[in-house]
Amino acid sequence: MTAKNEPKLDALLASVWERGLPLLRERLDILDRAARAASSGELTETLRMEAVEIAHKFSGSLGMFGHDRGTEIARKIEQILSAPPAASNRLDELVRELRHTLRIE
Amino acid sequence: MGTLMKRVLIIDDEEDIREVAALALEATAGWTIFTAGSGAEGIATAVREQPDAVLMDVMMPGSDGPTTFRTMQQNPLVAHIPVLLLTAKVQGVDQRRFASLGVAAVLFKPFDPMTLARQISEALGWKEEPTS
Repeated sequence: MTAKNEPKLDALLASVWERGLPLLRERLDILDRAARAASSGELTETLRMEAVEIAHKFSGSLGMFGHDRGTEIARKIEQILSAPPAASNRLDELVRELRHTLRIE
Repeated sequence: MGTLMKRVLIIDDEEDIREVAALALEATAGWTIFTAGSGAEGIATAVREQPDAVLMDVMMPGSDGPTTFRTMQQNPLVAHIPVLLLTAKVQGVDQRRFASLGVAAVLFKPFDPMTLARQISEALGWKEEPTS
């Protein structure tokens, strides 16, 4: 296990990240919808559960691609959504911060 | 130093995590990797391929990691294979619960692709062999 394969692995990881961007955007859109619904007091249980699952997946995966801050934000989003009623303003702000961190505006 | 050639099965419903873990273990350790997207597919692959270890996600739809592990324990064809659970749960109570299942180790997501093979080797006591 040496650093000699690090550049090759970095390139492979970048390729996986690029390929996953459409799904990442779809999932961020769902988090946006959940944050908006929470701020207007209309977050359904179905959407909340879907958003919790997405936040959990983000928290477990973004760090693999070097997005450690993304993992931290996703954990906070998961915590907020897991303990309803969700802190609506904070949720909206965190999803925006997550997009900014991942450079997906 | 290189690690002895190993065969590892990765079970995770998330394609990108399967792919990153597989690439990482192949590139950094030269291991042979099998992947499965569900507990049922994973058990079938484990029976067929007889890997040296299974790296399995905790949260999966259908049969989750702990359920799949218990099913494996009841199957003499795969009960001997060490299982490492992968979890993104950060709460200590969750971590203790997973560890108490009798798995070989609990590893945490997100993992560092460059050190995943070392983490697995250390958890399972796999020795490294000198390479020239």
